Amino acid sequence: MKMRVNGVTRSVAVDWQNETLLSVLREFLNLPGSRYSCGIGQCGACTVHIEGQPVASCVTPVSAAQNKDVLTIEGLASAAGELHPLQQAWIEESVPQCGYCQSGQIMQALALLNEQPDPSEVEIVRSMSGNLCRCGTYDRIKKAIRSAAQTMREAT
Amino acid sequence: MAKLTRRNFLMATGWTAGGVTALYLLRERAIAHGPSIIFPNTQSGASWVQIKSDGKCLMFLPRMEMGQNVNTGLAQIVAEELNISVEDILGITPNTSEVPPIAFTAGSLSMTLFSRPTAHAAATLREAMRARAAKLLKLPIDAVMDAEGGFKAANNRTVSYADLVDETNVVVEFDDQQAPPALYTFDAQRQKKQVGQDVKPLNIRALVTGGAIFSGDVPMPDVLFGRTIKPPVRNASLATLETNGVSNVRGFVELVRDGDFVGVVCKTPGSVDAAMALIKATWSLQQPINQGEIDRLIDVDANMAAGDLEHVLKDHAHRSAVKWAIDLRFDVQTQTHAMQEPRSAIAVFATQGPEKLEIWTGTQDPWAIKRLAAMDMGMAEEAVVVYPQRMGGGFGGREHYDVELDAVRLARAVKRPVKVQWTREDEFTTARNRPASAHRIRLATGAQGQLTDWWHGYITGHIFLARDRLPGWVMPVKRLEDDLGVVRGAQPPYAAAHLRVECSDVDFPIDLGVWRALNAGPAIFAMESAMDELAILQDKDPVDFKIASMNGEHPRLQACLERVRALAEIETLAEGSGNGRGFACGIYEHRCFVAMSADIYIDEQTQKIRVERMCVVQDVGMAVNPGQLRAQVESNVAWSVGMALMERFEVGDDNILSSNFNNYTIPRMEDMPRLEIEIINQPTIPPAGAGEVALIAGPAAITNAIRRATGFRALSLPVTFSDIKNI
Repeated sequence: MKMRVNGVTRSVAVDWQNETLLSVLREFLNLPGSRYSCGIGQCGACTVHIEGQPVASCVTPVSAAQNKDVLTIEGLASAAGELHPLQQAWIEESVPQCGYCQSGQIMQALALLNEQPDPSEVEIVRSMSGNLCRCGTYDRIKKAIRSAAQTMREAT
Repeated sequence: MAKLTRRNFLMATGWTAGGVTALYLLRERAIAHGPSIIFPNTQSGASWVQIKSDGKCLMFLPRMEMGQNVNTGLAQIVAEELNISVEDILGITPNTSEVPPIAFTAGSLSMTLFSRPTAHAAATLREAMRARAAKLLKLPIDAVMDAEGGFKAANNRTVSYADLVDETNVVVEFDDQQAPPALYTFDAQRQKKQVGQDVKPLNIRALVTGGAIFSGDVPMPDVLFGRTIKPPVRNASLATLETNGVSNVRGFVELVRDGDFVGVVCKTPGSVDAAMALIKATWSLQQPINQGEIDRLIDVDANMAAGDLEHVLKDHAHRSAVKWAIDLRFDVQTQTHAMQEPRSAIAVFATQGPEKLEIWTGTQDPWAIKRLAAMDMGMAEEAVVVYPQRMGGGFGGREHYDVELDAVRLARAVKRPVKVQWTREDEFTTARNRPASAHRIRLATGAQGQLTDWWHGYITGHIFLARDRLPGWVMPVKRLEDDLGVVRGAQPPYAAAHLRVECSDVDFPIDLGVWRALNAGPAIFAMESAMDELAILQDKDPVDFKIASMNGEHPRLQACLERVRALAEIETLAEGSGNGRGFACGIYEHRCFVAMSADIYIDEQTQKIRVERMCVVQDVGMAVNPGQLRAQVESNVAWSVGMALMERFEVGDDNILSSNFNNYTIPRMEDMPRLEIEIINQPTIPPAGAGEVALIAGPAAITNAIRRATGFRALSLPVTFSDIKNI
């Protein structure tokens, strides 16, 4: 079984083909940036993209990603280490407290901006409502999304 | 180990090699960690800062990070003392064999305990460097002035730290019996460059790029995966066990059983899930687990009717038979931490050479884990090393040898590295929750409506002295004393000529422990609700009434209240029914002051109580990093919304019902109010912690607003839309 993860084709060993996408990313491919938190698709900490669409990788069997493009938080910055505007905005706004949910928050925010480059307050809240943050960084997440959206619009 | 001085210890472990290191020493040189004792000596703070031969600054990070980003504030202090910037500092989190024990990270005490030792260490280093610079410049010491990254002479000749340090290993000690060097951090006249700035959290880049920073992220060759069964409460014993078919699961490695400890080890996480699903256990309980049992245990009225409660915290000129203006009972339900990261740990035993056990885990108390793992395995403490990792949230719930025990025992059984990742359900089942509590508050007033009598009795579960947080033989004696978690926040800021505060703490059928703000959250919710109701009864403005009732004794709290009222009034409350504004305030641990307002709206259409806007004014002394202080306020606002309107840890019939985020509701983005936050900076008052402060006032601000909007007095938390409509 093969899939493209962050642009690189990766093989999944037979023993790992019945696992969740999250387990394969974290434990087999050594990409721990997508985090395990609820295991039932209720909190968004494990959000990755398959073919550009956000999914909860903790409830997605790895087979669902076979021969597809998977994007994780590790694939967001450029190869030279230049951060994505969302990551840059997350730093500018000092969003993270414990930081555990933030990979998923950023991946969900990316899905939103791919769909809607200039989201309203209501659209941001609707899109992010599946991503929990126990530390309560929501206000800063909103600000960071708005600021990244502006940077991205100005760049195009 | 305890015989080694810190100096010798650090030199022996290589930390001080090459460069000049300043050590801050206290007379008390090691923590006396007794068996399972989780109250370290608060004098045990130590600090070191080092300048290497290339001029780089290394700093030992004494605190475990879980979202409070406290080491950033300590790095700012070092930067201020050394005239460098935080970016020039490399922070190092030591493992447990590299430094002597450090006090565990808890209780919002980090800034209180560590700011001064850290400043001392850095200032000591600076002055040692100045002496070297004087020699180099052939000038008297007082002719050597500060410059960025070093020193300068009157002729503007500069000397950088790099010029002053070679590969020789030098340790400069500061002993607390000496006169201290000038501490720039605490100099109110100084124009500060680092302290007081919004410096970004250290390592923020790793947090936004998915770096391997939590214990479950640590790469480990040949690792296996394991998990264990969890009883609904730790004092349960295994009654029946079925494991049929477990060994047939694909990827199965071993079923491990040792008394009530039962777990599996497999090759992949998915095979662990499959194997665990086949294990069926039932448990014998010492106490029935159900809501009725908890309600019975905390029945404050029945117990007060029967006589004094167990601990009388305050009593002066108490009168039990006066005409009470307010006589209300307030209940707060059990709540759990639900930190975003379910706990995980990796344990590795050396397969050759001398006996050795290594543990990677996120914990508030790495040295206790080391000691307890050694005891558990019958090993020498020196043979155990804990590598502390960042925690994905702690909130008081990560002090114990729990997930580490699972990993250690499974790894020993299979003689391979084992990673244990608790499921979300494991996290809920094993949580040491904040107990439910019931409060009876009686207030009486004099001829002018002034407060004359205050009588607060409450019952809650044990917190610091909860079952199995200390060895059983210590408990009966310990419990004669006040449980410092149970009594926290119970002292009112209001003056009454006749005052009594009493409480009882009881054994709950579920596990209990430390949770953000401990008893102060529920107690101050009850107190601030009662005072609000008294103001309403007298047709007085609640802010004016509370300030008048303080009798001038708490100027810092009074300033917070006055300022928060001004902030709230910047916006006029929306017209129409269903809108309300409430206020509340409180003092946490005698040094942290907060006042809050909440504007709420009862939304008939969505059938929700909406918190629209909150204002917070907080004074915790010197604001080392105002941005991070605001972040802690934001976090406490989210927790206030959860505590007031959402969170209820539910038990069933001898089991725990709350298992995940689909049945234990925590705030989402749409539940958050707009925020106005103001941090009062007190440059001459040492910084106190902010991690738990605003949670003491937030819930009552919200429920007081509900009272104004609807006439409904929330007597039980959490309060829901249907509670309001069902009266």
